[in-house]
Amino acid sequence: MIKTSALPLGRISLLLAIVVWLALVLVDLVRIFGMINNLDSGIAEEVTWILEILFFIFVYLVYRHVFWKTRQSDFLTLIWRGVSTGLFAASAGLLTELIYYALGESKIGTDPFLKNVFYHINFAWTSAFLIATTLLWKHLILYQKNKQVVNQWQVFEFSMAGALFFVFFNHNNLDYSFLFGLVILLVISILLAANLKWIPYLNFKEKWKTLLFLFLILLCAGVLFYRVLDSGNEGRVQINLTDNLFLMALFGFVFVYGLFSFLVTLFNLPTSSVFEQKLTEAINFQKLSQSIQPEESEEQVLDILLDSCISASFSDGAWIELNPKEQVQIKNPLRILDESTRTELTKLIPQEKQSWVYTSAAEIPQPLTIRLIHPNYKSALLVPLVVNKSILARIVLIKEVKEGFNKEMLSIIGTFARQACISVENHRLLNQAIENERYQEELKIAQRVQKALLPLKLDHPDSFDICAYSNTADEVGGDYYDTYQVDENHFVLIMGDVSGKGTSAAFHMAQMKGVFQSLIQLDLRPAEFMKKANAALSKCLERNHFITASIFEIDVVNHTFCHARAGHIPTLWYKATENKAEFISVEGLGLGIVRNLSYKNHVQEKTFEYHSGDILVLLTDGILEGRNETGEQFGNDRLKKIVEAHPQKNPIHLQQEIIDSLHQFVGGDGMIDDDYSLLVVKFK
Amino acid sequence: MLQLERKKEENKDILRLIGEVDASNSILLDQSIQEILEQGATVLLIDGTELEYISSAGLGVFMSYLDDFSERGIRFAIFGLNEQVNEVFKILGLDRLIAIAPDLSTATRLTHES
Repeated sequence: MIKTSALPLGRISLLLAIVVWLALVLVDLVRIFGMINNLDSGIAEEVTWILEILFFIFVYLVYRHVFWKTRQSDFLTLIWRGVSTGLFAASAGLLTELIYYALGESKIGTDPFLKNVFYHINFAWTSAFLIATTLLWKHLILYQKNKQVVNQWQVFEFSMAGALFFVFFNHNNLDYSFLFGLVILLVISILLAANLKWIPYLNFKEKWKTLLFLFLILLCAGVLFYRVLDSGNEGRVQINLTDNLFLMALFGFVFVYGLFSFLVTLFNLPTSSVFEQKLTEAINFQKLSQSIQPEESEEQVLDILLDSCISASFSDGAWIELNPKEQVQIKNPLRILDESTRTELTKLIPQEKQSWVYTSAAEIPQPLTIRLIHPNYKSALLVPLVVNKSILARIVLIKEVKEGFNKEMLSIIGTFARQACISVENHRLLNQAIENERYQEELKIAQRVQKALLPLKLDHPDSFDICAYSNTADEVGGDYYDTYQVDENHFVLIMGDVSGKGTSAAFHMAQMKGVFQSLIQLDLRPAEFMKKANAALSKCLERNHFITASIFEIDVVNHTFCHARAGHIPTLWYKATENKAEFISVEGLGLGIVRNLSYKNHVQEKTFEYHSGDILVLLTDGILEGRNETGEQFGNDRLKKIVEAHPQKNPIHLQQEIIDSLHQFVGGDGMIDDDYSLLVVKFK
Repeated sequence: MLQLERKKEENKDILRLIGEVDASNSILLDQSIQEILEQGATVLLIDGTELEYISSAGLGVFMSYLDDFSERGIRFAIFGLNEQVNEVFKILGLDRLIAIAPDLSTATRLTHES
């Protein structure tokens, strides 16, 4: 395959065509010599016919190759190829005429051999022109291919192939069978000539050029045909190559299609502006839909839209008004008109039509035509651009004629506007998506930083086991727990919960950790700790935020813990001796609620004695407030029952049990819309 | 979902909370109270009969106005809370700072006394 395509097929065909032509000339001269001298040249007329057919085939191959190479060129270049061959052929013919006119009745002028050489030259050029033009027509006919057209063309090609060999059947006579074949081929040609879909794609200027070219082709075809007939009639040629069905049918086809094309192009001239307009609209539409590229801005989209609307409606002026609420700026909002005319015209448009809000949310505002009472301008079209349910901008198109905007214009402008709005909306969504992505990244960092605020290792002696768990509703949250070893016998547990959730809670949680870590160094009693914490946090919490906290100071020698609670969810205490769990009740107000010294009246501490096997469950409200699909809360009692049911479990397993139960309770459709944390302590 | 209904009876402004107050809608509650304050209310009663749930963010709104109320001499009470919501106020200790009454008449009496 590669080898064949590498061969210079065009040149080989050309060479073969020339060789065959030379052979044809030679054979025919020998035959003429025989005829004149009444000698048997020993060459049958079939040899001439075979050489002629071969010549046609090689010329066909040459031009097929030429057209294959230039198949991507535009119509005019292709048609020019036909024209140039035609001009060559015609001038060769005219030159021959001229030479014979000059020679007159001299000896050379009547020499049959020379005449035949010229005849063969003209025959070659005429064939080349006809075959080239036929291939050109083929290209034009099959420009917009469908199965039907391709089938039609194939029928034509087969018929032509038949006509090529017709000479063997009819022996070069102009008899009825010849006429019959010619009529059939002409009918097929006329049918094919209806395929003129390439013409509308020419613009106005190209159409004029095409008309000229087609005229030249028709002229050349006419001249050549006349010469063929002439040479046939004169009888000065003993060997007739041109009374050939194939050649005659080609003449017919070239002429019919050329004529049809010429006429259709001519009649298409006045309407070509409409087609060009439609094409411009399609291109504008494409521009609008492609202007979503990140580097392009909304202003560019609006700019293209304004220009597209003007060209689609042939407006005599236009401007774009931007909704003052939108942050879009456009450099050149006014087209054709000047500023004072615009102000003048704006006054003529009813106020209610210029509103930036539209009343019915379901109805997207459509382009609206308005009659203007103005000496120069008579009609206006308002095109609202609706992006994300609000009017982004409005295009005002102005025309000098009354009712200047027809239905097609309204529809195409409406489409433009919608497409532009989609572009703007997509542009915004894309930017939003990028922004969101960035926020997500930031939040991930925040999440990591916040996780690091919670202790990795919990301080505890051998006399109790401890574990903790924390989960946030959003990426970051406001729950906090920590442990601290005061001395070898005293350990502090602390749990805190910032009101609200999310980022603001997370910042306050960080402050809380700072305050707690500082105060814990001071070795304060729990109530005192809360008072100091309240004073410190009152200075840094926002007015509508507060923190709840629980603190336990465990004395592992005396088996006691001292507890203070600042508005926090009471801690669940499982007493092994009684086999019962209950919430420790100690009064205490949340931190940051009362921001003065009177807080000391609102907090108290109590000391309790614990026993081996006792369990403390510190938690935040997210656990108790987890809700199932019916809206029921997880609540105190469920928690109590779980702990009472599994007192033998070690803290980590008990903690898992609680979390599992919570998730099971909440289920797929329920929700835990808050941060939730657990700290489980079991005394040995 | 939170719905807010305002009503004025004699000198009392009554704000009825219907549904749930959480982080997402606590701003609405805040705005309503702000408006009532700006209109020069003297007695503000919160009707919590149909309040199903209040999150810490919602509590934060009430808390943030406590100083304003005492500075302006506005008498403030909440009434009609269901057991669950009442418990939330109690755990936080707000019941010590805010007059919480079982019904409207008790709330009216409480605000008259103070």
